[in-house]
Amino acid sequence: MTDALARIHAAFADAGVTGRLHALDIDSGAQLDAGADQPVCTASVHKLCLLVTLHEQAAAGLLDLTEPVECSPQARTTGPTGLAAMLDGARLSLRDLAYLMMSVSDNAAADQLLERVGLDAVNRTTARLGLARTLAVHTFGELLSTIKEDAGPGGARSLADPLVVTRLRALDPARTNRSTPRDMTRLLAAVWRDEACTPEHGAAIRRILGLQVWPHRLASGFPFDDVHVAGKTGSLPTVRNEVGVVEYPDGGRYAVAVFTRTARTSALLPAADAVIGTAARLAVDALRAP
Amino acid sequence: MDLVRHLECFVAVAEESHFGRAAARLGMAQPPLSQRIQRLERHLGVRLFERTSRQVTITEAGTLLLAEAREVLARSEALMATARRIRDGETGLLRAALPPDVSGETVAALLAHFSGTADGLELELHELPTAQQLERFAAHELDVGLIHHPCDVSGLELGPVLRRELGVLLPRDAAAAGLDEVPLASLTGYDLILFPRAGAPAVYDDLLTTCARNGYTPPAVRHAQGTSFVRGLVLSARAVALSPRDAHGQGEGDQPPSPASGVVWRPLTGAPLALRHSVAWPGGRGDAAVAAFTEAATRALRSTAGASPDLPARPLHLRPASEYWL
Repeated sequence: MTDALARIHAAFADAGVTGRLHALDIDSGAQLDAGADQPVCTASVHKLCLLVTLHEQAAAGLLDLTEPVECSPQARTTGPTGLAAMLDGARLSLRDLAYLMMSVSDNAAADQLLERVGLDAVNRTTARLGLARTLAVHTFGELLSTIKEDAGPGGARSLADPLVVTRLRALDPARTNRSTPRDMTRLLAAVWRDEACTPEHGAAIRRILGLQVWPHRLASGFPFDDVHVAGKTGSLPTVRNEVGVVEYPDGGRYAVAVFTRTARTSALLPAADAVIGTAARLAVDALRAP
Repeated sequence: MDLVRHLECFVAVAEESHFGRAAARLGMAQPPLSQRIQRLERHLGVRLFERTSRQVTITEAGTLLLAEAREVLARSEALMATARRIRDGETGLLRAALPPDVSGETVAALLAHFSGTADGLELELHELPTAQQLERFAAHELDVGLIHHPCDVSGLELGPVLRRELGVLLPRDAAAAGLDEVPLASLTGYDLILFPRAGAPAVYDDLLTTCARNGYTPPAVRHAQGTSFVRGLVLSARAVALSPRDAHGQGEGDQPPSPASGVVWRPLTGAPLALRHSVAWPGGRGDAAVAAFTEAATRALRSTAGASPDLPARPLHLRPASEYWL
């Protein structure tokens, strides 16, 4: 284990990131802790908490997942994918909005769902599941607004300036949506053990997490056709995260949460994305070692 | 009333939107926290929060006061930091660091500027690379330092970011040596000599990415640091090296003869490459002494190393996997 920890820290350093990781064998409880209790900015990883809340409310009969929602193109939360990038109005069920929110991290779909369930409900769900250090303080639209405000008139391109990066509230866990790697593996384990929701809703959450399209982070560490990877990424300037579950055909299943900050301010850093997979793989290999 | 302590409570409740969590964060019980908020509301004559059985929301008035409350807290922390320093040494002590690549002239100028402005303050100066400075900030063993960018700046505050332009060292008989300014693409075919990557992976990667973006992808990268070794490789191994202007005594305009014959230094066309520096200190711990060091270091770099303000950023095309859009 100490050898694996050293290799994980070396992998993070080599990729030019500061990384925090927690990996948990969902069945044995064995774990690997590389900064698992450090407060981290969740960014879009918080959509996982919202998804669980949505299913919890459906299970309680507060809403129907097939309920249609009118998605007007006006005042949509911005983003590069899904409804956030579409130009016209649409009508989607709550669960299809959830699919867009998780598969392509659609910010507009996420905020439509938040409007329906409320931020407080998300915090009640995470509190109920014992995630004491997980808190959402704003919607995804509000989160993006703080970046816009803090970046100032230079807009997105000023985010390459280290001085601007130090000023972003969105990158300070005390002032934005936050959690810890350990809280996130606890949430994933609860979902996989059907402790967060009824088995029927647990299965629906696991299906959606398995439909995420991004191959560049967690999944990149497991290039094996017989290994299943399900997860949710989160990204902001200098922030790259992913939390997910890796399942082997022998029944082994591992919740992994990786949160990183890059030293470089460039938007495109393939090595920083890939090290999330590399570190997760080192951790899972250590947990699987005889 | 201890205003600072009460404002701390106010900010914690505002940030947590929850009395229980705020109390846990402050390491106190919930009832005294509620009492403090009520006392503060009476003292200010303003209602700060709306409380229902389920939740706490900050009022409009509370929002208006929050930024100033944070400022008062930051300033009070800075005051405590100064007091701590004065208490620790007879005259006060500032623990500062500079990276090893800063020239002797720059260090001398910094010390001269600093002693001129920060009278009665003792400066304990260390030579430390960026990574070690960040570790010591975290361990509260260092108050301020001059660091290289890019690095992980979380939890830090920064002074102005300055760039020291990099040029190229190349053999006198290379075709590009005949040019006044060398386009990076004209170095094609030459190996590149760089410091070993482990020393600063992000800086190393940034330099190679910028070379590639400007049409120069070296067939091989050779690792070397010592001046003589680098010169030897340039002379004998069909390789070039990057080096700041101030390391070659070539200020703007003048072109003194190159010291060691066979190797020449040339600026790069468009100045695409630079070493970037700024003064940094742990967030919330800036005080007058830190400000004096920042001012002295910035002035010294500008006057002795030809450092200039960071260039405006280039266009940025975010791709969908970025997950955000401004």
